Amino acid sequence: MERDQEAGDLHNPWPRFSWWFIVAVVVVSAVLGFVVLGRYQQNAPDLDLWASICRAVGIPSESRAAGAPQPPLRTPTRIAWTASTLEQIASGNAKKGAVVALNCVACHGEREGTSPLFPTLAGMDANVVYKQLDDFRSGKRQSGVMSAIATTLSPQDSADVAAYLAGRGDGLPSIAGEPFPAAGRSLRQTDPAIRLVFAGDPGRGIPPCGACHGPGGHKLGAPTLNGQHAAYLESQLTAFAQGSRQNDINEQMRVIAEQLTADEVHAIALFYSGRSASRPVQTSDSATTQAHRPAGS
Amino acid sequence: MQNSKRLALFHYWVAFATFLLGIVLGAWQMLMRSPLPAPLDDSAAYYGSVTLHGTAMAYVVTTFFIMGFGYAVQATSLNRPLRGVGAAWVGFAICLAGTVMAVVAIVSGRASVLYTFYPPLLASAWYYGGAFLLIAGSMIWVALMIMNMTQWKRDNPGRPVPLATFAIAATAILWAWAASGVLIELAGILLPRAFGWSDLIDAALGRTLFSVTLHAIVYFWLMPAYIAFYTLVPQVAGGRLYSDTMGRLTFIMFLVFSLPVGMHHLLADPEHGSGFKFLQSALTFLVALPTLLTVFSICASLEVAGRVRGGRGLLGWIGALPWKEPMMLAVGLSLVMLGLGGFGGLINMSFAMNSMIHNTSWVTAHFHLIFGGAVVIMYFAIAYEMWPRITGKPLRSKPLARSQLWLWFWGMLITTVPWHVAGLMGQPRRVATFDYSDPLIAPMAPLVIVSVVGGLMLLASAILLIVVLFRSHFGERAAQEPMQYALAVNPPARVPASLNGFGLWNAIVLVLMVVAYGYPIGQFFFLKQHSVPAVEVTTQTSLEGRP
Repeated sequence: MERDQEAGDLHNPWPRFSWWFIVAVVVVSAVLGFVVLGRYQQNAPDLDLWASICRAVGIPSESRAAGAPQPPLRTPTRIAWTASTLEQIASGNAKKGAVVALNCVACHGEREGTSPLFPTLAGMDANVVYKQLDDFRSGKRQSGVMSAIATTLSPQDSADVAAYLAGRGDGLPSIAGEPFPAAGRSLRQTDPAIRLVFAGDPGRGIPPCGACHGPGGHKLGAPTLNGQHAAYLESQLTAFAQGSRQNDINEQMRVIAEQLTADEVHAIALFYSGRSASRPVQTSDSATTQAHRPAGS
Repeated sequence: MQNSKRLALFHYWVAFATFLLGIVLGAWQMLMRSPLPAPLDDSAAYYGSVTLHGTAMAYVVTTFFIMGFGYAVQATSLNRPLRGVGAAWVGFAICLAGTVMAVVAIVSGRASVLYTFYPPLLASAWYYGGAFLLIAGSMIWVALMIMNMTQWKRDNPGRPVPLATFAIAATAILWAWAASGVLIELAGILLPRAFGWSDLIDAALGRTLFSVTLHAIVYFWLMPAYIAFYTLVPQVAGGRLYSDTMGRLTFIMFLVFSLPVGMHHLLADPEHGSGFKFLQSALTFLVALPTLLTVFSICASLEVAGRVRGGRGLLGWIGALPWKEPMMLAVGLSLVMLGLGGFGGLINMSFAMNSMIHNTSWVTAHFHLIFGGAVVIMYFAIAYEMWPRITGKPLRSKPLARSQLWLWFWGMLITTVPWHVAGLMGQPRRVATFDYSDPLIAPMAPLVIVSVVGGLMLLASAILLIVVLFRSHFGERAAQEPMQYALAVNPPARVPASLNGFGLWNAIVLVLMVVAYGYPIGQFFFLKQHSVPAVEVTTQTSLEGRP
């Protein structure tokens, strides 16, 4: 025992045994993991020793099909939510935007869209307006009229008009102070609109609409839908489903809309269009009515 | 332990108060994800609650409990006042401030990231700042544990460090190594992005760094239970520890083998080659060694005690053990849960079998059984053992404490066994609502309902725990026998330097970490393009702001 008073001395039994044990364990596991496993368990019997080690380390070797033709890259939008984009939008000048917005009122109205097919923009989140204008400008979203107007606008004009529209307090209700409905927020709801808006449909991989578009949640770039025209919402869901609109960054709206039935699309559109207290939806369904009751009642 | 009593007591109370809060949330979450109606039926609240429950239970309760335990153990096992009490209080204050920051961020709905620190999910800087303070503050405790041991060694040259001191120092060193991963991730990746200094976030590097912490932290939580197994249980049973050397070896092996193994939490991760996953899985299997060694030594120690107490025959010693002592009862129940949970763990860490249960309820059930069950029940027993020594007031009462332990045991089994089965049926974890009318999901409904019943039993048990501790705290003062640690059958007069300090073992850990993590972490700096935009959950609707 006396001679074992130096833990760094490899002549002593404890350090010597420990180091040998560790080295043996590492070497055996490494041979198994990097050579045997890489060579024989990767469904690639033609790999040589070096290639199998590279593969086990995680470096893709020449087994990759380098010369294979790649499908053309198609990006759904030019906008990415980087700090510089957000700064550009935040720099928008609402006063200058008011002048630009004179182009908009003919269709989108002062307070709300002049036709059920033209979306209400007053009160719309600035990031949303900016992104859609850029998509129209770059052809990522198709519309004869909007593309023509958007190409005449500079990015700064877009930011200005976005700031002006976002500042209009008399249009769409603000997302921040949006009250929660008193009831009806789970999968047990029978009303399809309430079910899809608050709980989604996990069986079909559909997240709740409300998680991004409100009420209850808001994601960057997702428009608030509360108070939007039903016919417009229905037309856009249909466009996503049919692939004629493709500017959703992660293809999420195309995936979701594709799976909705026509009745569900209709119900969701009605739900959102009628949510604000000034335009209640006329329906006998008690669950829907309950959800429309202002919070705290 | 005069100067450390208040210190330990404050740490324990923070831990158990947080524990009660966490249990209430846990029980509600069980209800929420079941087919039964739950109050506040809302998915956003569920994810916020999961974050709070996980953060509270995994970081706050454990860190505070173990720090308090460490101070108490060092003062009593070295039998001299703790050095550095002032610094210890500073550490306590930093950890508490961090906890408050993190909790406020979660409750205000700005941090529903499910407590994992996995980017690209990104919480508010307050959450990460709070977590950083909590973990960094505990490094003061680490330093004090090491300092007290080395100073004692200097004052007592040639004498073996008491096993309890040695073990708590091993715990502290293990925690320092383990925490390095998450601290680097917080300081280098999450906080800079949360402050808005960059657009992208290095998700893959973040996950890899967190895996350094992810498995070793479990052993950090486990260590107090093992320290109780070796140093308190044989004493309570009225016997002696079978072997002091085995105890030292166990804690050394936990230190060495719990660290270079975290990548078995990344078996499904595309960023890493299969070779490193296999290497770390193989090393993981070696963690079974100290556990098996412990089961053997504890059974041997208990047999010594049982026979001293008059037990005869092959198994007669079992009945002769003092099962009316909470500590004794807790060990029995803990070993049962450790056995069941351990077999589940072997499946999780197996390269191929893991893919069957990856990201299912099986995983949640597993760590609730092994941590919430086997480990936390020992926390209760430790509290019951130490409370009279710290407060100077007797435990009120042992029968109540025993029923609390039984309730916890059955509650945990009833919760986790059906939960495992639901996981095998494919139920994903971290999901707020299930459509139980779906024919694929419908068979899980009865299992989930049984789990809810277990969850409510756990809630009742936690309330009972607080009642017992509270009643004892405000009881009448009475003379208490001092804290005693078990002597070994052959108490060591001298031990080899390798078993009396950590120099050799830290060197081995360093080499293993470089082998196991050097390339997997290093590759991100020269090989792969891996930064992605963050998914911010910092602007979601607040939990409080509900009508």
